[in-house]
Amino acid sequence: MTDLLALIVQQSVNGVYLGCLYVMVALGLTLIYGVLNQINFAHADFVTVGAFAALFTATRLGTKVLGLPDTAAYLLSMVAALGAGALLGLAINAAVFAPLRDRGDELRPLIATIGVSVLLENFQLWLFGPIPYQFDSPFSRETIRIGRIFFSAQSVLVVAVSAMAIAALYAFMKFTFLGKALRAVAQDRETAGLMGINPNLLIALTIVIASALAGVGGALLGPVLVLTPFAGASVIVKAFAIVIIGGFGNMQGTIIAGLLVGIIEAFTVQYLGSGLIDLVVFVLLLVMLVVRPTGLIAERKEENV
Amino acid sequence: MNRALWSFAVAAGFAIAPLAAQAQDKVIRVGVLMPISGPGSYFGVMGKEGIDLALDQFKAGVNGYRLQVQYEDSACSPLQATNTVKRVLDQFKPHIVIGEECSDATLAIAPILEQAKVVQLNAGSVTMKLTESGYKYVFRIFPNAEQQSLPLAKVAYEKLKARTAVILHEKTNAGQDNADGFEKPFVAMGGKVLAKIDFARDVNDFTAIATRIASLGKVDVLPTFALEGQTVRLSQALAQARIVKGGGGGAVQMGSIWLPYGYDQKAGQASEGYVRIVQFDPTENRKVVQDFIKAFRAKYGADKVPTHINAHAYDAILLVAEAVRRGATDTESIRDRFTKMKNVEVTTGKITFDAKGQNADLSVVHFVETQKDLSWKGLNWQ
Amino acid sequence: MKSRLVAVPIAILVIAALPWLLQTPYWRGILVLCAMNVLLALSLNLVLGYTGQLNLGQSAFFAIGAYVSTILVRTYGWNFWAASLAAVAAAGLLGLALAAFAVRLRGHYLAIASLGFAVITYQVLINWEKMTEGVRGIYGILPPVASTTGLFYLVAGIALAVYVLIDNLVRSPVGDTLRAIREDEVSAASLGVNAALWKAFAFGLGAAIAGLAGCFYPGFVGTLVPDAFNIIESFTMMAMVIVGGMGTMIGPVIGAIVLTFLPELLRGFGEFRLMIYGLALMLVVLFMPGGIVQAWRTLARSR
Repeated sequence: MTDLLALIVQQSVNGVYLGCLYVMVALGLTLIYGVLNQINFAHADFVTVGAFAALFTATRLGTKVLGLPDTAAYLLSMVAALGAGALLGLAINAAVFAPLRDRGDELRPLIATIGVSVLLENFQLWLFGPIPYQFDSPFSRETIRIGRIFFSAQSVLVVAVSAMAIAALYAFMKFTFLGKALRAVAQDRETAGLMGINPNLLIALTIVIASALAGVGGALLGPVLVLTPFAGASVIVKAFAIVIIGGFGNMQGTIIAGLLVGIIEAFTVQYLGSGLIDLVVFVLLLVMLVVRPTGLIAERKEENV
Repeated sequence: MNRALWSFAVAAGFAIAPLAAQAQDKVIRVGVLMPISGPGSYFGVMGKEGIDLALDQFKAGVNGYRLQVQYEDSACSPLQATNTVKRVLDQFKPHIVIGEECSDATLAIAPILEQAKVVQLNAGSVTMKLTESGYKYVFRIFPNAEQQSLPLAKVAYEKLKARTAVILHEKTNAGQDNADGFEKPFVAMGGKVLAKIDFARDVNDFTAIATRIASLGKVDVLPTFALEGQTVRLSQALAQARIVKGGGGGAVQMGSIWLPYGYDQKAGQASEGYVRIVQFDPTENRKVVQDFIKAFRAKYGADKVPTHINAHAYDAILLVAEAVRRGATDTESIRDRFTKMKNVEVTTGKITFDAKGQNADLSVVHFVETQKDLSWKGLNWQ
Repeated sequence: MKSRLVAVPIAILVIAALPWLLQTPYWRGILVLCAMNVLLALSLNLVLGYTGQLNLGQSAFFAIGAYVSTILVRTYGWNFWAASLAAVAAAGLLGLALAAFAVRLRGHYLAIASLGFAVITYQVLINWEKMTEGVRGIYGILPPVASTTGLFYLVAGIALAVYVLIDNLVRSPVGDTLRAIREDEVSAASLGVNAALWKAFAFGLGAAIAGLAGCFYPGFVGTLVPDAFNIIESFTMMAMVIVGGMGTMIGPVIGAIVLTFLPELLRGFGEFRLMIYGLALMLVVLFMPGGIVQAWRTLARSR
């Protein structure tokens, strides 16, 4: 392998890994938007809570109390993170989205979730302090090498779990009754209600699923991120950009956009300098909005005139 | 009977209270500006720990004077720092202000304190501008950017025989100052800086940066100026890319006092071979250091090791107490005692302020190299 | 009509009296900050409250005002007033540029586009070090008026003038046009309203006013760093408009005053300050959707 080719392949691998990282955060956001037309600004903070829940479950509960081997403890921690995320989803639905739903307002729930985000971040700051925590999973210290290309075992785990989650979600949406009902609610809430589907229940379910996804994302990303209460803030804005570039509410688009952003970030670091990452990504975002405002994979949505 | 006793006690209390208050009239007021909220709280929380510990030790007062502290949250921002310094000056009327940690905020409050003729004692910022602007009331015990980076450059060139370097730094005032402080002397000696790579404080993954460095050819040293959270990730990525010794490569990662003790355990094998300068060294045998560690553990937990941020904040109070012990009673006399201090011993070494207010005594600063078992080995390079 | 004629002199009296009620440099400084925030809230309310455009990028125009004026004074030796004029114009132009996006986008798309705008502006300020000094910052900036009280009178006076200007605008047919666009853009277009033109107007004017506020910021703090203009500032501005009462004139003023003084008054709470702030924000949005103004009116009516 020539040097240049190896470099390009390696940065591409880095980019895919980075992309999957972002996709794990963005996917839940897009789910919520798809069914509710709302942005949850506190979503990335759910990821942080998931990460902390996983850390303490793996180290305190799993290893010390239950005496589990590392891998089992880590798997247990993923379950705990999923639970934590689900609980947060329930809470934010009950506190913010359900009460504000019928007003058809785009802005107020967004501001309310900003309040939730500030609250969550500072609550965690009070609980955990600002010093970064060391979260090691059994996979995060293993490096896999194929020829001259390297990547960490954790990155394989991230890609694998996100792929599984996406596949599961897709199957759920397409083949189960509940999934079809969710899609109905996303398309036209009133009519779905008339057909005997309880939209409020389904919306609550979606938010819980999306937040649980965020929680698991935290368990996967904990060993990768610099784990402080502000970890979420470091990824939220890019996650928004990905949701837009991919097309609000569009799962396939979000995945492609996430991978694209990851790869662009890796190559920007290589050739332009890492200080310019945000600039490049957001210029891309604006270009996207000019050229193809509905996102990469346009889903035709009828606008009520 | 009981009721009468209680009434007597209450009445006595009211009678004695004003007397007690009068006895406490001799107070030295210390304003403390620290980032207590936001990501900057990384510094503020540790700074507060150090100061609180020092205040415990001086509970009985110094020279008949009580040390009274008021904390303000300056959140690492010039706006908040400006507001809180005005607030503390108005409401508390301090004789001395300790602050801040972040260079931007420190520079913002310096002119205000200068104008108010209140001593500013800085224990956390590296920016050269603080002591190059001609302020008469500024004193700094934290080593500035040049003091940290020049020894690194010299050791890199002369002892490690490095000829190529890639400088990695966070995109902040402090990071840039430190990076420049390495680049200038290194290049002047004949070294070549292959790249100066900066990154924002919210970057989590460094594999892309590590890959880029691997593509630059032979790199001898990698001076790194970032906080521990990011440096852990960076070192691991560098090891993964087989650039640094800890990953089987040949490059030596170098750093300044930014990294606390315990960093090596967090980074694991990736930190093997890391060469850095250390000022506060918890393995040092000096009585001041060991007493400090004992007191720290007694107050905050037996398994905790204080960091240099704890130590510098602690020293700031030690110095104030020392000035008071030497007869200072107000801001002018504090300033006077500071200028006259020579070789005052504190946990981070010795203090002798130069004409610009910077502590020029770096005798305690020494190099350490991380061994395979993640312990430090002292290197005799000054 | 009569109440408006009386309101202005009363406002002038209140503004004149405030520095005598709050006499310390610290509180007078907060007054200056408050006046700046009132300007910012008014500017955002024009775009968000009256024209209904979901603009999350107002911090960009604030930043442009601050940096352009400071750079012109520092590097090119302009005087403060000329530099401020140029900075306001620059901010306004940038606002028009954002409007070009606003023409085709609605709702959340516009929100994220404007957010992207703000992030890009912020990144340019950080990276164009030759011009802006980047993260190192610019120090020793002097305010146009030496005393804090004087600066407060200046900024508050400008805020009052802007208030009267916007108030008149909103009561005129222009205001009706903007409100029509807010309520239902498609129907408005069918009535012959050139939505694109008026959106551009709203964005441009809103941006110019935010830029105007920005001109006074560096002199007040003395230090100019890009971090003062990260996107969190946009959210704070939006919170001021919403908490006060979006789409009213006095709402943003109240919101700015409350959200400037509240963090300062909460300083006694130390670590819990921001938690309380976040909680308060949530509660206001949930229980007082029309902001403080609506709550006040409901209370007044129920008597």
